[in-house]
Amino acid sequence: MIVAENVEKRFGETLVLKRVNLRVEPGEVVTILGASGSGKSTLIRCINGLETLSGGKITVDGHDVSTKTGLVAARRASATVFQLFNLYPHMTALQNITLAPIEVLKLPKAEAEARARALLDRVGLSAQADAYPQQLSGGQRQRVGICRALAMQPRYLLLDEVTSALDPEMTGDVLRILAALAADGTTMVFVTHEIEFARHISNRIVFLEQGELIVDLPTAQFFAEDGGLAVPRIRQFLSKMKKD
Amino acid sequence: MRFWRVIEPYIGFLLQGFALTIAACLLAIAGAVLLGALTASMRSSGNGLVRGFANAYGDLFRNVPFLVQLFFFFYGLPELGIYVGAFETGVIAMSIAGGAFVSDVILSGILTVDAGVIDAAKVSGLSRVKIFTRIVLPIAMRVSVRPMGSVLINLVLTSSILSTITVNELTGAAKIVAATTFKPFEVYAVLLVLYASLTTLLSFAISAVHHRLNRFMTEG
Repeated sequence: MIVAENVEKRFGETLVLKRVNLRVEPGEVVTILGASGSGKSTLIRCINGLETLSGGKITVDGHDVSTKTGLVAARRASATVFQLFNLYPHMTALQNITLAPIEVLKLPKAEAEARARALLDRVGLSAQADAYPQQLSGGQRQRVGICRALAMQPRYLLLDEVTSALDPEMTGDVLRILAALAADGTTMVFVTHEIEFARHISNRIVFLEQGELIVDLPTAQFFAEDGGLAVPRIRQFLSKMKKD
Repeated sequence: MRFWRVIEPYIGFLLQGFALTIAACLLAIAGAVLLGALTASMRSSGNGLVRGFANAYGDLFRNVPFLVQLFFFFYGLPELGIYVGAFETGVIAMSIAGGAFVSDVILSGILTVDAGVIDAAKVSGLSRVKIFTRIVLPIAMRVSVRPMGSVLINLVLTSSILSTITVNELTGAAKIVAATTFKPFEVYAVLLVLYASLTTLLSFAISAVHHRLNRFMTEG
């Protein structure tokens, strides 16, 4: 379980997360919605320890990410997929995927590669195993990014606007993969602007507004007239997103 | 062929000097690149003390004439009871001086590595050392190869200064031959050709390494 309690994050004078509370149970898909700059990505980056907390506490399966050993364990339990892919440019797709399994999980190379090839096959990239990121399209790079995360067999998958840098066609490819993962019961924390998609795959939707988590509702209720839509800010946000 | 008549009796001696130059350069290039990579990693460290130490080394050896460094090691160290041969002293001095410049080049390469790529490596659980050796340094080296080439060519040219501490490398050998034959024009003409071919070869080698390391940059 991922638990965030009264999480605060400050960049200089600006408070970008204000006493945020969030719980993600194993098997859940939780989507974080909110306008740009509302703190969505920062929250993800606090969970995987890329940002240090200014206040509050985050635990992943009980491991406190603000402690050194806790962070190691928390990172071992989760994996992150990034908006801009962040693939290792000097390594092939296969090497991108096998690096951490070999170095961190200490898997034998042959086993790590077999696992990587199976993942690439699953996302339709078997033929691109030996291609470098530069030689792949954005959608292909992101699928490699997803494989790289899955190769660590994480309990929690953290997805930080993973389709924001992709064109609609590529977005569809990536979303289909994520839908399949959700159907398999993969736990996900999903920061996105793909509202319709979030509606399909999420158990819960939380809404961040200027660093405050103002709504945390089961998906159906979030989109109900007497639920999330009753909050003016959310109604405004959703109607604006639909127009775009 | 007046020219060849002058050179012919000494060609073996000059080539021996050339071999010594090549040996000193290869060792010093290896030393400078290793020391430069190590220093660059220290200069990008989060630890202020480590960073300060590495910066001090870089600043000191970039800002003192190589001849002075060489004399310091060659004449100064025996005073401290440290005795090493002239050739070894030369190689060590070249490695230390070259390493200071190489560290600059590699550090600028390190600073070009995308922070997002490092984030990805961090969250995957890789240790700091692994992130540096498997991700940061390989990417930095690819960016740095070409500018490092100029530094290394300079290092090769600097090797001629070893003649001042009794190492009879190419320049040292030539000085002896020129003094014996009183024919400096012919002798140093040979040196022009030999040094130019050595640095040209090095340039080709650097281009080849650059090409090989950056094969991942070719668009598919």
